Amino acid sequence: MALVRRSPRHPAAMEPATALATRRLDKGVARYYRLYELLSAALDDGTLPPQGAMPSEPELCVRHRLSRTTVRRALERLEREGRIIRRRGSGTYAAPRRTTPRFCLDLDALPAALGTLQAHTTATTLRFERGAVPAALAALAPGLGASAYRLERLRRVQGEPLSLTTTWLAQPTGPRPARHIQRETSVVTLLAAPTAAVRCSIGTVAADADAAGALEVPLGAPLLRVRAVLRDGAGNPRAVLESLCRSDRLRLKLTERARC
Amino acid sequence: MAACREGGALSLGHGGSVNPRGRPILPPARAAAPRICPAASQQKVYTSAYRLPSRMTTTIQSGAGVSRYLRLYRVLSQTLAEGRIGAGQALPSEPCLMRDYGVSRSTVRRALARLEAEGRIDRQRGRGTFARGRGGPSAASRDLSAILDDAQGGPRGAAWRIIAWQRVPTPAFLCGEHPAFGAGALLLRRIRSVEREPIVLETAYIPEEIGAALTRRQLASDAGALLRSLAASGHRASILEREFAALEADPRVAGSLGIAVGSPVLNVRTLARDARQGIVAYVSCLYRADRYEAHAAIAIGRPERARAGRRG
Repeated sequence: MALVRRSPRHPAAMEPATALATRRLDKGVARYYRLYELLSAALDDGTLPPQGAMPSEPELCVRHRLSRTTVRRALERLEREGRIIRRRGSGTYAAPRRTTPRFCLDLDALPAALGTLQAHTTATTLRFERGAVPAALAALAPGLGASAYRLERLRRVQGEPLSLTTTWLAQPTGPRPARHIQRETSVVTLLAAPTAAVRCSIGTVAADADAAGALEVPLGAPLLRVRAVLRDGAGNPRAVLESLCRSDRLRLKLTERARC
Repeated sequence: MAACREGGALSLGHGGSVNPRGRPILPPARAAAPRICPAASQQKVYTSAYRLPSRMTTTIQSGAGVSRYLRLYRVLSQTLAEGRIGAGQALPSEPCLMRDYGVSRSTVRRALARLEAEGRIDRQRGRGTFARGRGGPSAASRDLSAILDDAQGGPRGAAWRIIAWQRVPTPAFLCGEHPAFGAGALLLRRIRSVEREPIVLETAYIPEEIGAALTRRQLASDAGALLRSLAASGHRASILEREFAALEADPRVAGSLGIAVGSPVLNVRTLARDARQGIVAYVSCLYRADRYEAHAAIAIGRPERARAGRRG
């Protein structure tokens, strides 16, 4: 393939000529993987639009000072993942927008949003036991007590893992608390009547061995972590939960109305 | 791989006593050096069999492109940063790590060596590996949410550095989702540092006619919160639609934030609208995961009064 003269169509994807030069921060990461990450990010945020042409192999080699083999490895991985389409004699193109089920959870419409979530997903109880509340979560809800019922659940959408949620419940309700909790699909509906307020924090963590195994992601992959404290009308904490979510399958939304 | 795993178990002399479906090696607040790693399965009331004995091996391998030692390093690093293994407490032994993550001894040693080089652990011959103590709350576990979310005043020691300021055609993903955005946009990319440490990389697209009112100097100042600057020029954002995602830092992001490639970052994408639903700005922020969490308070059962606000 000759060096085809093409206009630089994707300035952002091509920007820094030496972006992939090895630096201290890149230790342990394969060179092809760095290019793969860059292109992957460009495909995700639309810098490389769906069905648009990708930069050519020679272009990528020159821009990022990489060998042809390295560039090919990055493109091969994208192709394997179905993100790009390579047509012989024509070039490489971004795949049409993916239609994988991405579940949207709107935090503002909580009970309703969770209802929709339940209707489209299945939850498996992995653990249910009495145990100590970890220090980080106990600090969020001091009134909960040191020991609580711990409920660990894996939620799947169309058979694919979506989130791993661990809840510590202050006091199971109903005549047969244990069975009741296991059967109920959502903690918020479980506590529906008395729950008045949820205070949550949203962050990102690297998947540890446990989460990686359950959610079927590589060790260290980024996961959304939602920690929430559920309080009743009197302001007493009823439950505290920590949910690790696959960000590629779950969209977490929150609408804020600015105070004037 | 299988040989390594067996080797680990044999060298410990556990034989069949080790529960291959046990909990991973990093339970919260483990105090003493654990000789037998996965314990405490007796109190379980209910456990389903989703954990396969070979899960570590498979999950590590599926993350091709990032070396095993780096993935292990990242997980251990996070455990230390969050204080789940506190100062002076012991890390799991090398054979424990080998078995639980299905990696070789040299991989474990490389991960530990990197932590040691960063001064975060102490390795004592014949005793074990211990988390290094620091005076007061460690810098790594500091949550800067309060400082970063403070839209009212410029916090001390915080500064913005503008790395891109240019007119661009509206990117395709914005046009596609929000046709009302218009054809042209002002691209603003900035890095915010707190005490000289980069915390957030902000990329904003502002519709051309609104962006025309902004000045570069205004946005480079300490108190240069974008939405505040926009409000000052008469475009007050009254509805902020936020979406959260967890991403891996790509090389450019990693370089900007001074973190390792592939480290987790929190992505908060905000679409700001004014009272008449017109788009004021689209802002995508990438936060260092170890420095920032978004906070929200949500009222349930009173939807008409439901309101959320980010607070520290």
